[in-house]
Amino acid sequence: MNMMSATECLLQMCDEHLELEDYASGVPRWCTGCGDNAILAAVQRLCRDEGLRPEKTVFVSGIGCSSRFPHYMKTYGFHGIHGRALPIAEGVRMARPDLNVFVNTGDGDCCSIGAAHWIHAIRYNMNITVFLHDNQIYGLTKKQASPTSPIGTKSNTTPRGSYLEALNPLSVTLGVQNVSFVAQAVDWIPEVLFDIVRAAYHHKGLSFVRIVQRCPEWLPASLDPWLHDPNRVQLLNHENGLQSSAGLSRVYRNQLQHDPSNIDRAREIASSTDTVPVGILYRNPEVPCYEDLRRIDELRTPELTRAGLNAELDKYTVWPQEQKEMVA
Amino acid sequence: MEADTQSHIAFFLTGRRPSEHLDAVAGLGLRPALFAGFSELTQLRYDFPLMLVAKRSDKLMVQSLSGLIDDALVEAASGSEGERIRKHVLSLEQAIRVLVADGAGGSFSVLWEQAANQLERTGGESIAESLRRTRAAIKFDGEMVGCDATLPSRLLQHAWAAVQKQKAEEFRKDIARLVLRLSDILKADFERSEAGRSAKHLKASVGAGFVDAFDFDAMSSMLSKALPKEGFPESRRKRIGDLLEVLNAQQFFPMSEASEKKTATAKHYSFVFHSCADALAAFRKRLPKLIELAKAITIAELEIDGQYSEPKHDALFEEFGANGLDPQELAPFPDYLVCVNAERMQAVEHAQLMEILSSGLPIKVLLQIDDILEESPNGEGNLTSGMRSRQTANMAIGLNEVYVLQSSASNLFRFRERVLRGLNYPGPALFSIFSGASGAASGLPAYLMSAAAMESRVFPAFTYDPSAGPNWAARFYLEANAQVDLDWPIKSFAYEDEQHQRVSEDLAFTFVDFVASDRRYAKHLARVPREKWNGSMIPIDESLTIERKGLPDKVPSLLMIDADNVLQKVIVDERLIREARRCREMWHSLQELGGVHNSHAEKLLAREKKAWEERMLQEAEAHAAAQPVGGLAIVPVAQPAQTTADVLAEQEPERSPDEAYIETPRCSTCDECTQINKNMFAYDGNKQAYIADINAGTYAQLVEAAESCQVSVIHPGLPRNPKEHGLEELLKRAEPFR
Repeated sequence: MNMMSATECLLQMCDEHLELEDYASGVPRWCTGCGDNAILAAVQRLCRDEGLRPEKTVFVSGIGCSSRFPHYMKTYGFHGIHGRALPIAEGVRMARPDLNVFVNTGDGDCCSIGAAHWIHAIRYNMNITVFLHDNQIYGLTKKQASPTSPIGTKSNTTPRGSYLEALNPLSVTLGVQNVSFVAQAVDWIPEVLFDIVRAAYHHKGLSFVRIVQRCPEWLPASLDPWLHDPNRVQLLNHENGLQSSAGLSRVYRNQLQHDPSNIDRAREIASSTDTVPVGILYRNPEVPCYEDLRRIDELRTPELTRAGLNAELDKYTVWPQEQKEMVA
Repeated sequence: MEADTQSHIAFFLTGRRPSEHLDAVAGLGLRPALFAGFSELTQLRYDFPLMLVAKRSDKLMVQSLSGLIDDALVEAASGSEGERIRKHVLSLEQAIRVLVADGAGGSFSVLWEQAANQLERTGGESIAESLRRTRAAIKFDGEMVGCDATLPSRLLQHAWAAVQKQKAEEFRKDIARLVLRLSDILKADFERSEAGRSAKHLKASVGAGFVDAFDFDAMSSMLSKALPKEGFPESRRKRIGDLLEVLNAQQFFPMSEASEKKTATAKHYSFVFHSCADALAAFRKRLPKLIELAKAITIAELEIDGQYSEPKHDALFEEFGANGLDPQELAPFPDYLVCVNAERMQAVEHAQLMEILSSGLPIKVLLQIDDILEESPNGEGNLTSGMRSRQTANMAIGLNEVYVLQSSASNLFRFRERVLRGLNYPGPALFSIFSGASGAASGLPAYLMSAAAMESRVFPAFTYDPSAGPNWAARFYLEANAQVDLDWPIKSFAYEDEQHQRVSEDLAFTFVDFVASDRRYAKHLARVPREKWNGSMIPIDESLTIERKGLPDKVPSLLMIDADNVLQKVIVDERLIREARRCREMWHSLQELGGVHNSHAEKLLAREKKAWEERMLQEAEAHAAAQPVGGLAIVPVAQPAQTTADVLAEQEPERSPDEAYIETPRCSTCDECTQINKNMFAYDGNKQAYIADINAGTYAQLVEAAESCQVSVIHPGLPRNPKEHGLEELLKRAEPFR
C-alpha cells in the first residue's frame, strides 16, 4: 500500500523548490579563509536538500564570529546576547514546535559564558540542532584565549601562553544526563561536515555538533598538524552512523568502526588528543524531548485560557463565601 | 461373510437400513461420545458468558466471566481465608452463568447482585463477606452476553462502536483545532482592519474597568494610521469562511460527546446497516459530502500553515476527489458496519456483498451463519455443509485486499484482538461467524454446536490480514484450530466397560461426529445393537484413509452416547463419508495456505534432500578415492578476495600535472580564491570552488590562490602564457602544488 495519498503527492508537487542562493543573505563579513564559510555552505546545502521552508526555519546565535551566522541565512534569525543562544532557542522551540531550530555558537559563547545553559540544554534535550564553531580563540575581539585554546596559546590575555589544559566540549557533553546526539566535524573535510550536519538535523532531540574550525587570522597554524596529516584525522564509521565514501577513504585511511549507541566507547574516543575523531560519537533517539514531555494535548481555546486564568486568580480571593453573600 | 456384516455393508453402500439388523437412530437422542462431558454447560468454567466492557477500545473491551473472577480472586482470595472466598465466589460465578443461560440479560453488576442475593439468602454472612471483598476487586462493568444467536452481532457492534468512538475523538479534536485556527486567521484580519481599530471596538476589547483611563478615539486614530497597506485578499477571506461552514456542518461524526449519545439524529449519519444494498447506497449518497469535507480539511491545513497559493492550489483542488478517495484519505472517517444473516440473503444481496468487498471501501461486513448443515435444495447431490459461507470467505480472500476473519462464535473471545484488527483495517473486512444457533433443533446449546463445528474442521477458524505483510506466511493465520497439523483433532476418551473397568482410548473428532449431532441427518446413521458389534466396524478417521477399490469389507462407525450416558456404536452410510472426505480435502487446502504440510515446500525439501544426499555420497567416494594416494587431498587455492573498497573505489579522472584544477569536493568554501579572481574561480551548486575560466586571470593569480588555499586543493599546473612576467619564480612557487 502506498505510504502517501494521491493528494499528498500532488501537494508535494506544488511545493516550491529553492536553490542554495535562496538561503543566502548578504556577503559574510568573516575573514577570508575563515572556517565559518565552510559551515555556512554545508548548512545552506542542508536547507536546499531537505527543502526547509525559510519561513519555518530559524537560526539563533549568541555573540562572536560564529554568531554572525543568522545574518547570512535568508531565514528567520535571532542574534542574541552573549552565551544565551541556547535558552532563546529553547523558548522558540517551546512556543513554535513547527519551526526547524538551529543554534550557532562559538567556543567562548557556549563553553565560557554560556556553559551553564549548555549543560542544561543537553539535559532538556529539546529538538534543536546545535553547531559549536570551535576555533579555539576569541576572534571577534581580536585574539583572547577561550576555554578550548590549547595550553600554551599566546594571546592578548595570555601573552606568556595559556596556563590551563583546554576544555573538551565532547567529553563535557557526553557526561551530561540525557545527552542524545554528539558528533564532531572538521571544517576542512566538507563531505563529512555535510553528512554530519544532515544526520544532526534528522536526529530528534538536541544534536550537538562540535566543528573544529581554523582561524586563519589569529591562530593560522594551530591546526596545521591535523590539517596536513590525514592520518591524524580518524573517521568514525558504522552502519548506524556514517559510512565514508571510497574517495574519502583513499585520503583518510585512519578509520574506526564505532557503534554510536555505545556511550562508554564514545567517551573514550572523545578524550583522544593525538587524533581528531570525526563522525557520530553518540546517538540515542530514545531520550525523550522536553517539549514532548510538557506538551498539553488539549486545544488552547480562549475558553480554556479564561478558565485557567480564573482558576488561578480565584486562589487569591479572600473569603469567597463572604463575597458571595455580598453579591447576593 | 456373516449376515450382520453383510447388512452393515449394504447400509453403508445404499443408506437403506434393514430393520432386523440395525436400529434407527432417530428418536434415540444420541450425541457424539466426545460430547459426554458437556451435557450441562453451566456446571463448567469456560469463556462464556462475556462482558462487553464500555469505553474500551483495546482487547479489554470484551472479557470472560471466568477470567474476571480469576483476576479478582488473585487479589481478594489471599491468606487463611482464601479457600473459603474462592469457594463462595466460584459458586457465585456458576449462579451468574445459570442466570445468563436462562436468558437473564443486563449488566454485570445487576447480575452479580441478583446471584449474590440468591446465595446470601442460604449462605449467610460469611458468603456475603467473601463476595463483598471480591466485588471490590472487579473494576470493570458492562453488558453480559452468553453464546447465543445474538452474540456475533452484539460483539461486533460493540467492538465497532469502540473503534469508531476512538476515531470520533481524534476527528473531533482535529476539526476543533482547524476551526479554532481558521477563526484566528479571520479574527487577526479583523483586528488589522479599520473596523477592528475603531474606538468602539477598542473600547469593547479593553473591558469596563479601565474605560476612563484611555482615550479610545486618540488610540484609534493612531492605530488607523498604521493600517497595513495590503489588506487581506477577499478571496482568502471567502475561502476561509467557506471552509468553516463545511467543517461546522459536517455530519460524519457528532461534534460533542453529548450529542453522540443520542442515536443518529438528523444532525449526523448512522453507519450501521442490516443490508449490503442499503450500506452501499448510503455510502454513494454521502460521497460528495465526504469529498467536500476531506477537501476542506486538506485546504484548512494549508491555510493554517500559510501555504495555500491560489495559482498553484486552486486548480488542484477543483479536481479533488474526482477519482474517489484512496484508503489513506478515507481512514479518518467512520467505517460502515453491515450485519447480515447468510440464511436470509438473496442473490441480489450476495452480489452487493461482493461489490462491497471488491470495492476497497471502508465497509465491515458481519456475515452470520446460524446453520451450516442446512439441507441442500437438491437432495441428491452433495450435502451443503458450510458451503455457502466457505464460498464467501474464500472469494473474499481471493480479492486480496479484504480482511477476512472466519470463526465460530465459541472462539470469538479468543479472536477479540483479531476482530479489532479487522475493524481497524483501512479497507473492507468480512467477518464470517457461525453462531451455532441451529443446535437448538437438536437440543444442543449454541456454544457446543459452534465449538464442535470448529473442532471437526467443518468451520475452521482463520484470519487473512492483507496489512500484516507481503506473503501468506504473514497474512494467513490458522493456528487457532486444535492440533492444526492433523486431519482431525484427537481427543482422549475414557469410559467404564461392562466389567466396570476404566477404558481409555483416543478418538478423532471428525466431520461425521459433527453431523451425527444433528437430528436431520439421522437417516444416514444406524445403531448397531451391542451383541452385533464386530471387528469389521472401524473408526471414521481410519476408514477415510482407506481407498475403496472393490466391495468394502469394513464399515465406518462412531461412538455415541444416549441420554443415560450409555455408549452406543453407530454405522454411517457412504454419502456422509464422501462428505467427510470433501471436508478433509478443504481442510488440507487451508493447511497449505497456513504453511502446514505445504506441498510446494515438501516437494522442494525432498528435492534438496536428495541432492544433498547425492553430494554427500560423491564427496565420500572422492574422499575414499583420494585417501590411498599418500593421503594428500587437493585443496583449491583461495583467491585473494576483492575488498569492498576496491569495488567501490571510483576511478579518479586521469589528470596531467600540467593542467590546472581544483579538487572541488574537498573545497571548504573559504573564499580565498574567489576573492583573488572571481571570474577565474567560481562556486558550484554546493558552494565549492572550481576553475570557471582559466583564461580570465594570470598564472600569478593561480599560484597565489594555491598558496592561500586553506586546504591546499588548488593545483596551478603549467602557465598558459609563456610571456607572463616572472614565470621562473612563479613556477618555483607552484612546484609544491603540482
